[in-house]
Amino acid sequence: MKTMKPIAAAMLLGTLASGAAMAGADTKVALVPGGPHPYFAAWEQAGKDAMKDFNLGAGDYRVPAKWELALQSTMLESLITEGYNSFLIFPGDAVGTNSVAAEIKEAGGMSIATAGCLKDPTPAMFCMGTDTGNSAYLGTKELIRVMGGKGKIAHFTGFLVDPNTQLRIDAVQKAADETNGAVTVVQVIADIDAPEPANEKINAYLAANAAGVDGIVTTAWVPAVVAAQALTKIGDKRIKMVGIDHDEVVLKAVKDGFVDGTMLQNPYGQGYIGSYVLDKLRSGCTLKEDAPWKSNALTAKFVDSGTVFVDAKQIDTYVDAMRGITKTVLANFEGNYLNCK
Amino acid sequence: MAIGVFTRAFDNDWIGPGIVSLAAVVGISILQPSFLSPFNIFVLLSAISVNVVIALGQLVIIAIGQMNLALGAIGGLVAICFVGIIELYGVPPVPALLIGLAIGILTGMVSGYTIARTGITAFIITLAGLQIFKGINLGITEAQPFYAVPQSVKDFGNLSMIGPVPWLIVPMVLASVGMWYLLNHLRIGRYILAIGNNPHAAELSGINQRATTTWAHAISGLLAAVAGIMLVAKLQIGQPTIGDDWLISSFAAPVIGGAVLSGGHVSVAGTFFGVVIIAIITQALVLFNIDPYIVQVVLGGLILWAVGINRWRELRVARLQEQGR
Amino acid sequence: MNQTVANPSIAADAPQSPQGRASALTRLLLSNEFGLAVLLLLTFLIFANTLQGFSSTFSLFTIGRQIGINTMIGLAMMAVIVTGGLDLSVGAIGACTAMFFGYLAQALGLPLVFAIPLAIVFGAGLGFINGITVVKSGVHSFIITLASMSIFFGLMIFLTKAQSFNQLPAEVPSFGKWKIGGLVSPLLVISMLMCVVLSLFYRFTTLGRSMLAAGANPKAAELSGIRTGHVITACHVLTGGLAALAGLMLTARTGAAIPSMAGQLGQDWLLPAFLAPVLGGTLLAGGRVSVVGTFLGAAFVQTMTSGLLLMRIGEFWILACLGVMLLLAVLTDKARQSLLRSKGMV
Repeated sequence: MKTMKPIAAAMLLGTLASGAAMAGADTKVALVPGGPHPYFAAWEQAGKDAMKDFNLGAGDYRVPAKWELALQSTMLESLITEGYNSFLIFPGDAVGTNSVAAEIKEAGGMSIATAGCLKDPTPAMFCMGTDTGNSAYLGTKELIRVMGGKGKIAHFTGFLVDPNTQLRIDAVQKAADETNGAVTVVQVIADIDAPEPANEKINAYLAANAAGVDGIVTTAWVPAVVAAQALTKIGDKRIKMVGIDHDEVVLKAVKDGFVDGTMLQNPYGQGYIGSYVLDKLRSGCTLKEDAPWKSNALTAKFVDSGTVFVDAKQIDTYVDAMRGITKTVLANFEGNYLNCK
Repeated sequence: MAIGVFTRAFDNDWIGPGIVSLAAVVGISILQPSFLSPFNIFVLLSAISVNVVIALGQLVIIAIGQMNLALGAIGGLVAICFVGIIELYGVPPVPALLIGLAIGILTGMVSGYTIARTGITAFIITLAGLQIFKGINLGITEAQPFYAVPQSVKDFGNLSMIGPVPWLIVPMVLASVGMWYLLNHLRIGRYILAIGNNPHAAELSGINQRATTTWAHAISGLLAAVAGIMLVAKLQIGQPTIGDDWLISSFAAPVIGGAVLSGGHVSVAGTFFGVVIIAIITQALVLFNIDPYIVQVVLGGLILWAVGINRWRELRVARLQEQGR
Repeated sequence: MNQTVANPSIAADAPQSPQGRASALTRLLLSNEFGLAVLLLLTFLIFANTLQGFSSTFSLFTIGRQIGINTMIGLAMMAVIVTGGLDLSVGAIGACTAMFFGYLAQALGLPLVFAIPLAIVFGAGLGFINGITVVKSGVHSFIITLASMSIFFGLMIFLTKAQSFNQLPAEVPSFGKWKIGGLVSPLLVISMLMCVVLSLFYRFTTLGRSMLAAGANPKAAELSGIRTGHVITACHVLTGGLAALAGLMLTARTGAAIPSMAGQLGQDWLLPAFLAPVLGGTLLAGGRVSVVGTFLGAAFVQTMTSGLLLMRIGEFWILACLGVMLLLAVLTDKARQSLLRSKGMV
């Protein structure tokens, strides 16, 4: 990540600075995740880059100190008070954060649900993020491919209170079902978004069942890290695994061949593109109703920020892969989704 | 007579949990033979080792009749400091370890001294401590993990000593034996238990409450630090979230092991088996694919069950004493 | 739980000995509540004059609304601290109640006039389970509620599959958004009313007085004919009811009943639940409550939080600041008490 930010920024600066001529310095963007998590680290640089590239009044990354809905709401309210008017929000709760989004709207601001969606009906403009269901589905497809089209899969995922978790469980099941019984999901282990329980449960599972499993798909950050460590430790290359995200541990395990690939998400792109779109919307553009919106279980206005499968061959160039996606999404955004005068 | 010996054995704190652990091991391994595979034993022992040290950190505070809500926050702070100074300043692992342990002892002493000096309940002081230590942790890391864990440390957390016995068991054994010796044979341990039993009587008999409380919390901080560093070794990463979920199990294990929460009566062996039971149940829930939604309910039920058993034993002892009179 | 029995002379309801007016005034000036009120006023004035936007109507409205919710959470915990117990499951009860209310109002379509009282009774019922278990087992409420927190929350998640109720009757969300006079949230009003009710309850009802007596000195209370077991159960029922009310208020504020509103296992509520009463001068050992203090405590914490956020001292340090604040508050209180005692004023 650390190397990716400046490169991507420089590249985007060159190609897109021209589009920022309309930029308003009165657009003050705040990028607010639901709480501290390494996934969002790229938002800080994304906000700074967007601020510079599009001449925004602000592009500040503000993190609630804890994953606490009330704390995020309080923080957003105080950001409204501070005069921010454009928000990229990872909803602390898919339903619960709507009330703050409504307050933002009433105060004359606007918000985009970023990296996770708000449930319709929502006052947020739209949702941009990884299509979590689709990412889980594609990841499982890749896993089935490297498994040779048959076998038993274990699925490790995150918090049960996160509505994305059910989408992921369903998507993995769907990919397995499409094989007409050649591939079965033998176990789902959920609620392991913290490293300690994840370590205990995943190791316990592998210890007892390693022989009965041919593939592992992980659809949340921490389980991916822990499962990658576990496979590296056992030194087992028979069990195939597809992870998620770009933690150093996962990337190294892919490079070393213990993990077959990882589904990368695009946090930097989310922050950067989101800031750009908010500025556009503030300077007179409107959203096209007939734009090619995707829909998911939560909302009918969804934009995919891109996800890409990376295996050992592309691991050194994954930065380019993500840069490519960000560039494509950004270049087409105005034409596809915006009406600008 | 045999029955008498049998029932008397039940008055030992650790016998009950010990039998339950054994029964659980036998039961599960019949249903799921891979449970006793060397790798699974290794995994189980690693988890137990860390959790015993955590539980002992709480045990010493329970013994003195207080509670330490900041245990996990201290462990987490030490964990990230340990990896942090290695990553940022290139400190070798051994000095880093010593600095980490010193931080643990120091934070514990500060808590303990504040409690002892002001007489404010430990609950509030350690609640404040929890916020402060966790806040410092997040302030330093901004929720980003430190990755530069030296290979030697990783090996310590993931390699086996002999067969299925992990290296992690070493600090666990040292801590357990040390705690047992401290509580049963050292003056400080006697003082701790005396204060837990009856603070006024202890005061009257000339025990220095302030010093004892301070030292008890220092020991608790030291054990939290050890557990934090063990977790770094085991997880191979300096996670800022280390310690976040220690609270429930740190109380559950000693209570299952027969500790009286009002102080004065604790059992190191019982706590060990308390940890074993929790670890086995955690594994069983995974092995038998039990609905994850129900896991919390089982854990809560387990605590109630243990409480019920302890209560039953207390009543029985009381009745026996009455009869004896 | 090495709690020494509260100094009987500072039990709130100790009969007021007839003393001179000057002494009563001194006592007021030196009371915990007064100190906190002055501190709150000072903080507020400093923030209002130095931080841009702090005193805007929007900011005041949101701060007030949050104070309302946190006060109710604090009162719920206070009601059980009275007898020297505590209830770690307040958040779980709040979340369970909110989901039960969502089920009644959305899935069953029950009118609000029935759904709201039923939900509160439900919360009180959960509190009753806690209370009866604590009394029957004789185990400290810390361990019992530690277990029931897992059980309540786990069952709720199991039954609801973590799905929210977001089609509540329109009155619910609009109640949460309502600005009385363009400034004051009705949630704040409800909490202030509840403070008045509880103050009267502890002062003038037999049950309220029994609770304080049982907290100050259980043995003496038992001897004077108070059935402490019943009283302790009643405290837990009251806690459950207040936690339920807090859950419903949060539901109105969120506009939906969501399982994550109090965090994993409802643990997010624990800090506000303890901060408010303790800052307000409620003794953890039991026997003394300060309803007004709880309100002031919640107000102080929320004012500080909002102020610190606006000051931009760095989000991650807020937690540490709140911890230091709690420490300073209890230490000052302790110092004040020993000062009073040394001068023989209490």
